[in-house]
Amino acid sequence: MRVLLSMLFCVALLCSASLAFAHTPLCSCFDNGDGTVMCEGGFSDGSSASGVKMVVKDASGAVLEEGTMSEVSEFTFKKPAGDFTVHFEAGEGHAIIIKGSDIK
Amino acid sequence: MLRRMMLALVLALAIPATAQAHFQMLYTPEIALNEGGEMVLKIVFTHPFDAGHTMDMGPVQEFYVLQQRGSEGEPKKVDLKQYLKEIKWKGHSNAAVAYEAVLPKTVVRSMGDYVFVLVPSPYLEKEEDAYIQQITKLVVNVGGVPGNWSAPVGLPAEIIPFDKPYANWAGGVFRGQVLSEGKPVEHAELEVEYLNHEPDMKANTFKEQAAVTAPHDSMMTMGVLANAQGEFTIGLAKAGWWGVCALGAGPEKEYQGKELSQDAVIWVKAFEMK
Repeated sequence: MRVLLSMLFCVALLCSASLAFAHTPLCSCFDNGDGTVMCEGGFSDGSSASGVKMVVKDASGAVLEEGTMSEVSEFTFKKPAGDFTVHFEAGEGHAIIIKGSDIK
Repeated sequence: MLRRMMLALVLALAIPATAQAHFQMLYTPEIALNEGGEMVLKIVFTHPFDAGHTMDMGPVQEFYVLQQRGSEGEPKKVDLKQYLKEIKWKGHSNAAVAYEAVLPKTVVRSMGDYVFVLVPSPYLEKEEDAYIQQITKLVVNVGGVPGNWSAPVGLPAEIIPFDKPYANWAGGVFRGQVLSEGKPVEHAELEVEYLNHEPDMKANTFKEQAAVTAPHDSMMTMGVLANAQGEFTIGLAKAGWWGVCALGAGPEKEYQGKELSQDAVIWVKAFEMK
């Protein structure tokens, strides 16, 4: 019984691990050219990023803006004047940081 | 003896002609993109294995893209006919009317799948006194978020990919299904050809250097049969582009009083595993 239980535990562990790794978080931002930046998110299995927390920080790490991905997995914010980073925070192992200087 | 020699000559002349397959190209160098941007497409009706005889294309009937990010939601359709410009494309034996489309960065910008669809007007193949119309799909992805790559567009003749056409390693396989008006084509006849001469996007021609040498004519254009459900698997033996064409899959069998082969084409790209 104990063997069976531990085997079951192992299987469960393996399953949860493979689930966690099966999809990769993806986020991309572009400059709208009107003083705003639009970010899109998603996962490599096609699932939606709706509701994922989005944070915009300045060079010192101070939060400039916070929000969530919309129903269509989009987040638009006012482009900060100086250096900044955009944080896509979909949980541990699922965070993405995009540098403002990389946004075209 | 003379008759036999003449027969041999006729056969020798006939073989190269049958070995070549017409392929509608809908080409852009990269289809697995990390980010969107301006995109240039070349639309050429040619023989991709030997970059040989290239055919004059008639007017394009339809040219559009269906874009979808993520597995939820509906694809967004954008008509692209306004971006078409006539060009001359040089094959290794002639030059012919082809098209170019320069898409502004607003078209391919978001993450997701972009299913490009080209419906050319039927081409009269004088030697066969019959028309060929190759309805062609090219699937591009931006940023790795999948979308509608496997969804039927609803074309009269269509190949549905079972593997993402933009995400293949060389040495892997590509699977798909042939549909005619949405229904599987039993034992569909397919032709598969490797794009053996890299297109030169600036000079509108194929590069002189061939990537591979076929040991036999049957390996220039490979004949493949689908199963009873219209499903097929091909090997992607080498990195580069593979054209897959389902012959006569569409319902239209006649055009302007002549026989019509309404074919479905899809392009697949394989990447070197290094």
